[in-house]
Amino acid sequence: MSVSVDSGNKSGKKSLNADLNLVPYIDLLTCMVAFLLITAVWTQLARLQAQQKGMGAAGEETPPELQVKIVVVVNQEGFNLVVGQDQTPIPKKGADEYDFEKLATELKKAKDGHPDKNDAQVASEDTIKFDVLVRTMDTALQARFPDISLVDTGAAGI
Amino acid sequence: MAIKAPSAHLYHSIKLEAANTKLGHGGRKSLNQALNLVAYIDMMTMLVIFLLMSFSASGEILFVQKNITLPDAQNWSDLDRAPVIGVTKDVVTLDGRQMATGEELMKDSATGDAKIPELADQLVTAKNNYKLLHPTEEFKGVCIIQSDKAVEFKILRKVMFSAATAGYQNVNFAVRPKAKGGAAPAAAE
Repeated sequence: MSVSVDSGNKSGKKSLNADLNLVPYIDLLTCMVAFLLITAVWTQLARLQAQQKGMGAAGEETPPELQVKIVVVVNQEGFNLVVGQDQTPIPKKGADEYDFEKLATELKKAKDGHPDKNDAQVASEDTIKFDVLVRTMDTALQARFPDISLVDTGAAGI
Repeated sequence: MAIKAPSAHLYHSIKLEAANTKLGHGGRKSLNQALNLVAYIDMMTMLVIFLLMSFSASGEILFVQKNITLPDAQNWSDLDRAPVIGVTKDVVTLDGRQMATGEELMKDSATGDAKIPELADQLVTAKNNYKLLHPTEEFKGVCIIQSDKAVEFKILRKVMFSAATAGYQNVNFAVRPKAKGGAAPAAAE
């Protein structure tokens, strides 16, 4: 198992042909392939972080009446974005398709109006699918609300 | 049958003339052949590069269950080690052990209590074990919910409520990562 290197020098008395010993290199590669195959992670998964204000013991630090609450209510008709006392209904686009683009636009407006506000609640009805909730939370995170709480509509006080 | 003394030359009667000629260096061409290893080394190098690119130092935290289809999300963070609650339409599991069935969870309890007793008890046990094993570290109350995308919030609400009553206030939802958008990602911790 060797590779010869030809110097091209034909005039000298001693040939400069040398054999590279590739056995250690092949051993190293084989060990690395075996190790990496054993430790390989084939399914890349990630997480969305949410808190549970209103469901458990986590409380609000300041009185609720002093805070502007931003709540995205998810129901069978679509979304209802509640910012303080203002409500913006966002109906579905079709029979089953929620209008995430408009929700993103409205959430960006809400963020521009309250730039110090980092928390938002996603309040859901019982029949809403998990996929819709994840996309809603993802939209809220995209609109720079990093502290997301997932609650039911009763706990959100809507 | 006569007994013969052992001989070094078995099958002496078979005359392998061509082989004997070659091995005896009587032929014009040597039988020594150099293996061309360039292609083999190329292949191994490419394989090592590919595997190094997909290497994850944290290892595999979650195993995808066959009946769970995870939703996609753009604003994701990396997973941390925490108790994994698996939720499908049929069953709720904690680290692979069944805690409740979907049929039970879809029913409204008479008292209106959303707590899943076995799940809450097991999570309290996990919390106590964590505190025993990590006495100097603060308990963060993080659990991972690995839920199918078609599960209704009614089941999730009960799971989350049980986790909250056991002290797990921070819920991480397992998602399939998509390419991140232009906005800043979610603050991880």
